[in-house]
Amino acid sequence: GRPAATLEMFPSWPMRFQQTPRGSSKSGGESISTDSGSALNTISSGKAEASQSQLEQPESPISNINHIKPSASNQQQSVEMANDASRTGPSSSQQNQNHQSAAALTDAKPSQEKRKGPGSTSDRQLDAKTLRRLAQNREAARKSRLRKKAYVQQLETSRIKLNQLEQELQRARSQGLFLGGCGVAAGNISSGAAIFDMEYARWLEDDQRHISELRSGLNQHYSDGDLRIIVDAYISHYDEIFRLKGVAAKSDVFHLITGMWTTSAERCFLWMGGFRPSELIKMLISQLDPLTEQQVMGIYSLQQSTQQAEEALSQGLEQLQQSLIETIAGGPVDDGMQQMVVALGKLENLEGFVRQADNLRQQTLHQLRRILTVRQAARCFLVIGEYYGRLRALSSLWASRPRETMISEDNSCQTATDLQMVQHSQNHFSNF
Amino acid sequence: MQFQQLRREETWGYYMMQGGSRSRSGGNMPREEPMEKVARVASESAVVIFSVSSCCMCHAVKRLFCGMGVNPTVYEIDHDPRGADIERVLMRLLANSSAVPVPVVFIGGKLIGAMDRVMASHINGTLVPLLKEAGALWL
Repeated sequence: GRPAATLEMFPSWPMRFQQTPRGSSKSGGESISTDSGSALNTISSGKAEASQSQLEQPESPISNINHIKPSASNQQQSVEMANDASRTGPSSSQQNQNHQSAAALTDAKPSQEKRKGPGSTSDRQLDAKTLRRLAQNREAARKSRLRKKAYVQQLETSRIKLNQLEQELQRARSQGLFLGGCGVAAGNISSGAAIFDMEYARWLEDDQRHISELRSGLNQHYSDGDLRIIVDAYISHYDEIFRLKGVAAKSDVFHLITGMWTTSAERCFLWMGGFRPSELIKMLISQLDPLTEQQVMGIYSLQQSTQQAEEALSQGLEQLQQSLIETIAGGPVDDGMQQMVVALGKLENLEGFVRQADNLRQQTLHQLRRILTVRQAARCFLVIGEYYGRLRALSSLWASRPRETMISEDNSCQTATDLQMVQHSQNHFSNF
Repeated sequence: MQFQQLRREETWGYYMMQGGSRSRSGGNMPREEPMEKVARVASESAVVIFSVSSCCMCHAVKRLFCGMGVNPTVYEIDHDPRGADIERVLMRLLANSSAVPVPVVFIGGKLIGAMDRVMASHINGTLVPLLKEAGALWL
């Protein structure tokens, strides 16, 4: 069967990436559903029962209304489709087809009766037809929701990418330089990296919320039980970013390991694609007082073990680099391709190191949670969140700070000292 | 003798198939099943690392133990003519928790796991007691 014309409203959005929010049934479109009764072909296949069981959309008001007043719901549905169409741009032929299919659905009952013939029991027929129509309506509504969701997601991605590009542009302009392709990575970013950057931006927003909760929880003296919930949520929040980084490492490990996903100050102190756990402990040590003796021992032990682990991983990475250098450097000219193949194989090990480094970071946070009481842990994570927040803010401030420019393109780039000199000379002349 | 070639190996107590003084590849013993071999090698030293000589993560785990003052026994499976069998056994032991068969660490004959388990164990403070218990670490 041909996919509904309305799906072609978004030709740039690949059909196969559409999925239902609940994930229980495969989307129609052009994806080949391995389970029977692909929801798309309800009209032609006539497998109303099978597809119905797959279409779980309990909150759909349309299906409820369908049950009672079929004609009204079809109107509502065609209105919804018309709204979608008007938002994305007019396409009268598609709307006509919508109305046609909506009309077909309203007319379903009489036409099907004609087709079925006079001999069959009306009660049983009514059930099957009604069921099929209900399923079709639900399916249409579901597709409408999917399109809407896809559209919104597209907008969101574009918005975030636009923000990134604007920021990079501003940064480059404020530095008075505009080197094409250097720092202004418009369009040079891989999709895996772009997706991760988007997810990371969202994670940062979540981080802000978690930090405020921690802060208010401490200031307002929440109970230990309530604090525990907030603290555990913050740990899960970090677990999430490590999971996302794991996924990103598979598609673009360089993006992670060079710190292109993070701010400049963080990038400067980056270790293996993220923060250095022992440095974090060092930062925390003075801010966690008062601690019991056992806790102090635990923290110092944690500092030592993280340092040892970091050292081991760093040495492993160093050996990888050595090995890579040996592979690429020199060698016979005609063996070039073979050389590259070997080098590529070695580069794949990078992912493992970033994974282990993130693993180390994750374990460090979990161990902190174990050593500290709930209240101490809340304070600890607040400190961590604020620390990185400040580091990020520092990066922004640094990028936009006023500086003396050697190359001034216009008079507005004059430095403070230049202006002073002008004033001074004017005063000089005033004496005369 | 192979031991003399690289001093590194002496520090790590290499257990090489060809040159090891306790090598059983002389052919006197009946052919050992790979799983049995792994179990046997794992139980013969306090700390055993199954490794591939060119693997950088294996290098990292070796450095971790050396940095702690532990002297692990390293079994390079790429120097074993039946290394592929050993590799299969290791993958099975790791049970999908790792994409690569090495490194795999045993302490006191007990399987610890791949690099991530070793690191997690070190961070949460369980590695050192295990090492002391196995007699690989004093004080």
